[in-house]
Amino acid sequence: MICLQDVMDRSEGWGRVQGRAVFQRLLSAVEDHPGVEIFRISFKGVNRIDMSFASETVVELAKRFRQHKGFCFVDLADEDMIENLDAAAARKMQPVFVWSGNMSRLIGPPPSQGVREALEFVLGKPQVRSSEFAETRAGMTIQNASMKFKSLWESGYVMRRESAADTGGVEFVYSRIQ
Amino acid sequence: MQRLVEFSPQWIEAAAFERALASGHSPHGLATEVQFNIPVGCKLMLVPIVRLLSLANQLAFVGKLVTLNFIEGETGAMGYLNRMGFFDHLSHNVRVVPGRPIHSAAKAHYGGSANLVEIAPISATNGEEIGLPSRLSDVVKKACGARADVAALESATWTIFSEMIGNVGEHSGTKLDGYAALQVYSGGNKLQVAVSDSGLGIMETLRPALKTQHPHLSGLSDIDLLVEIFRQGLSRLGSERGCGLKGCAARAIKFHAELDVRLPNQRVLLVPGVSGYTPNTAFCSDKLPLLWGTHISFEFQLT
Repeated sequence: MICLQDVMDRSEGWGRVQGRAVFQRLLSAVEDHPGVEIFRISFKGVNRIDMSFASETVVELAKRFRQHKGFCFVDLADEDMIENLDAAAARKMQPVFVWSGNMSRLIGPPPSQGVREALEFVLGKPQVRSSEFAETRAGMTIQNASMKFKSLWESGYVMRRESAADTGGVEFVYSRIQ
Repeated sequence: MQRLVEFSPQWIEAAAFERALASGHSPHGLATEVQFNIPVGCKLMLVPIVRLLSLANQLAFVGKLVTLNFIEGETGAMGYLNRMGFFDHLSHNVRVVPGRPIHSAAKAHYGGSANLVEIAPISATNGEEIGLPSRLSDVVKKACGARADVAALESATWTIFSEMIGNVGEHSGTKLDGYAALQVYSGGNKLQVAVSDSGLGIMETLRPALKTQHPHLSGLSDIDLLVEIFRQGLSRLGSERGCGLKGCAARAIKFHAELDVRLPNQRVLLVPGVSGYTPNTAFCSDKLPLLWGTHISFEFQLT
């Protein structure tokens, strides 16, 4: 867990200049934990951030580590802050999930129609394989399911790691960013 | 050669300011001396004050002899300008008749009014005051306390102010300071916020980038392009940037604010319609006397 407030100078963050300074501290916080794959960024104590600040800090962080590390937001209920984060994430084409308990809300670019169902599937379980998704959909091949999951991972919606397949080969296991 | 800019003895809002400037046949032109006459009964509103400050400093910066002649002295417009901090930021090379105020009313009463935020500099070299967006939105909150949506308005205006002020610091590309100020007009049931810079105009920085980034937009007229800047969030720095102005416009539209943008030779008034800001609800004046920079103001209703 990274508390955004801890790396900010005050409870309000605005502008790209401030944002770039805070980004460097966020980067250090991430690099100090090389083994961690998913970081929850807490907005507790943060009163306001504008779009430029959001773009230079937490959204840039998620984009920088896409496909390698996942970032999600917690302790975030203020609609104006969410709106600003959403605008920044949409502009950078970087999806991010905001979690409140087990409820999630996606900000940034929405997934395309073709992968929406696959994303819902990943969100519904701790971890899934594309073969499991294919099994639940009539007419869906494993290859087609794999392509959808890969697309979600490349776009930053989900995490992926290698796992040994029952057949002895390697397969990918996908998981939500929570 | 001297140019004379005559203000009328009346309330001077943005349009009247332009008429006065036009009377001076482009102060930025060949004239070596420029005099602004502020007669008895002339009441400058916030937006013209901030634009006049920028213009006077621009003219002084290029070596022109600039005079501000307040016919009524401190009992007239000069007193209000002093309260707003106008003279605290006016270039020392600008001559003031009958003389600069001895004491700054803005410094004496700084932050003491629920109806105004004194002119604050936005410096490209020294950065801007970190608490400025909050000071501005705090006044919005107090002034618009009668509105049911005051909390949302306060939050939205904070975002607008922070984005606009951040933009000045980052994009204007000038050694001259930009400025921000706010005034509540209770009688007129409105609140004006002005953010000005004296750098390159937004069109001057964006136009060259359009050909490579948005070639389909490069043929747009200035007014249509300005509307697109606020609708799409165009930026010379690429597709990942520009969300600030777009977001500002979205918030302003949500609260039915009018947006006035003065560019080096044009002024565009954007009035929100059912589809937000559109060219159909934009009013443009072009071929105006040169005023460097981008000067943006928002006007909100108090109730």
